[in-house]
Amino acid sequence: MSTRITTSMVQRNVLADLNSVSGKLTRLQMKSASGKEISRPSDDPFHASQAMAMRQSLEATRQHQRNVQDAQGWADMTEDALDDITSNASLARDLLVQASTDSADPTSRKSIAAEMEQLIEAIKQGASKSYRGSYVLSGAETTSRPYAGGADDTYHGDEAGFDPTLPGIVREIGPGVTMTINTVGRDVLGDGQTANDNKLLHVLRDAVDHLNAGDGPSLRADLSRLDTNLDHILEVRAANGARAQRLETALSRLQQTEESTLGQLSETEDADIAKTLIELNSQTAAYQAALRAGANLVQSSLMDFLR
Amino acid sequence: MAISSFFGLQTSLRGLLAQQRLLDTTGHNIANASTKGYSRQEATLVAAPALEIPSGGIAGGSGAHLGAGVDVQAFRRIRDQFVDLQYRGQNTNLGEWAARAGSLERAEGALSEPGENGINQQLTEFWNAWSDLSNANADRGAAARNVVEKGITLADSLKQVRAQIDMVKGQTYAEYADLARPAAPGDTGGEVAQIAQSIAELNDTIKRYITTGDIPNDLLDQRDQLLDNLSEFGQVSVDAQADGTINVSFVDKVASGTTYPVVTGTTASWAGPPAGDAWSPGGRLGGLLDASKPGGTLDGYLASLDTIAGNLVTAVNTAYNGTFFTVGVPAAGTIDVSAALQANPLALDAGSGASGTTDYALAVAQLRDGATVDQPYRAFVAQVGSNVREAIRQESNAQVLTDAVENRRQSVSGVSLDEEMSNLVRFQRAYQASARAMSTLDEMLDVLINRTGRVGL
Repeated sequence: MSTRITTSMVQRNVLADLNSVSGKLTRLQMKSASGKEISRPSDDPFHASQAMAMRQSLEATRQHQRNVQDAQGWADMTEDALDDITSNASLARDLLVQASTDSADPTSRKSIAAEMEQLIEAIKQGASKSYRGSYVLSGAETTSRPYAGGADDTYHGDEAGFDPTLPGIVREIGPGVTMTINTVGRDVLGDGQTANDNKLLHVLRDAVDHLNAGDGPSLRADLSRLDTNLDHILEVRAANGARAQRLETALSRLQQTEESTLGQLSETEDADIAKTLIELNSQTAAYQAALRAGANLVQSSLMDFLR
Repeated sequence: MAISSFFGLQTSLRGLLAQQRLLDTTGHNIANASTKGYSRQEATLVAAPALEIPSGGIAGGSGAHLGAGVDVQAFRRIRDQFVDLQYRGQNTNLGEWAARAGSLERAEGALSEPGENGINQQLTEFWNAWSDLSNANADRGAAARNVVEKGITLADSLKQVRAQIDMVKGQTYAEYADLARPAAPGDTGGEVAQIAQSIAELNDTIKRYITTGDIPNDLLDQRDQLLDNLSEFGQVSVDAQADGTINVSFVDKVASGTTYPVVTGTTASWAGPPAGDAWSPGGRLGGLLDASKPGGTLDGYLASLDTIAGNLVTAVNTAYNGTFFTVGVPAAGTIDVSAALQANPLALDAGSGASGTTDYALAVAQLRDGATVDQPYRAFVAQVGSNVREAIRQESNAQVLTDAVENRRQSVSGVSLDEEMSNLVRFQRAYQASARAMSTLDEMLDVLINRTGRVGL
């Protein structure tokens, strides 16, 4: 069939072409205005769902950073508490060294005993440091002060975090990665004389008794028991330091992840502005050309040339 | 045999009259250049029955035929019925995909993804709140309140999205039901019924002309135009009868051979869709019905949302080891934070052990981005996206094909003004020439009548 081109065909085609060009223009206009490559899932279903996944993991990364920062605060406070305990225990050791020599007389031993009592109070005070309202050495009993003042040397927290069967203070520091961050006060200070556990408070209370009794040989034995405890505190501090180190590493890794996820998200979701603008310009030119061509085509007719 | 002196005058007159008819037809075409569904017409000319000259009438003795001019035999419309069939097929397709795309696009809009307002964002904030709660080992009032707040926001978002998709479903079905509504006393019915009525009336008129041997071109055009309109709504089958009427019915796209009568002879027989909408008419009706019927596309979206909401409730409540969310049927429409927690957020139990434990909160926070909620939700969004994308693509394909067939049809039936202008010139010249032939004969007769035999006067 030889093609007859009729007036309405010309009009329809011109109109259809104009529509398609202006449709493209509108889409480019939207893209450059919103700066987004994908504004609805149907623009690109696969990349839209990928972008959603990236947003979710971006937010997760930010949350994990907040979690790690919180855990760092906890670890710092624990370190503070342990540092307090260590320095007071060292002072106690100095006093003990002084009192254990046979030259020390009963009066000076008694006054040292009084000083020692104060140090015990200070140590229990140091163990009662809190972070955001939680006593850091109380295990999961975060609202109970681990050690009361005065003669009560029993530990009022629990063993959570130390005893693996109890959930301790845990932070999620990565997707599926959790970390127990608390140190249990009983492990460091013990429960005092009644428990007979040879922990710091037991040893110091014994020393006070021996000072009052003027028992030189026992005091020398207490000194070596105190040294064992100081060593143990060092170990606990080292463990806490290692945790802080791990948190530091986790944080910098999370920051890197955040940056790279942000980059990927932008690559998936954001429009290439330079490219979009160039396309916009060339489509505008195409639109004007189509308008001009259409106008010429629709206007002219044989009538113009018949007299 | 002598031939009448006035014979030539008659021949010229026929020419004049025929050219006039041609000019009339051209005028009719030009007048209808923009009429929708109009097909151009032409007057078909034949040589008029010749004057028979019996044998011996002319030199040599044999008989002969002397041409007697021209006659208009018929006025016919120029139309290709097969292109009509193709057009209707494509138009049915276009109607179906356009209806589907329109409906699904609105459902897609309800999701407002990807962005800051979608369920994905609410989920993110919900998980963040739980993670913050897991960090609150003492004094967790603020964190607990935040968890309950975010839980309520998430539940509201789910309910809202579900309600919007449900509304789109309802509106889509209402559109379908309105279009397909049969006529009833005092009610002209939906568009299908109205078209059926018009076709039936045209059938009646056309039948009367055809039985007397006339061909009502313009009425046929109108009827074809109505069939084009009808083809947008569903797959149409047309059965032409000997008396000039047509029987029209919708044809099921799936159950082959099943038809639903629209017009039978001179009666509009559209009785509405079959009971329970158990048909696949294609076209706009089919597109709307497929999207909105029970078990249709939109129903599938609602079911997916319900599954996701149900998963969310089960997973969170299991991890929380209690009732954080309450839920009924349908899940996404009834999900809510338990009334007890809404009344007293501080009753939120973050852990299994001593006051500082937060293992429940941690377990809930770790559901983030998991295979129970976030991943199925993203898959759901991607599925809606691909459905819409496919519908839009198919719609524009169908549009291109429909345009191509329409162009082909216009190429055959459309009025070309250039062509009509050149015809106008041609017919005008022919008319002038016929007139000239007549005046030439007139002069001849003048010589014969007024000047012959006047020698010597």
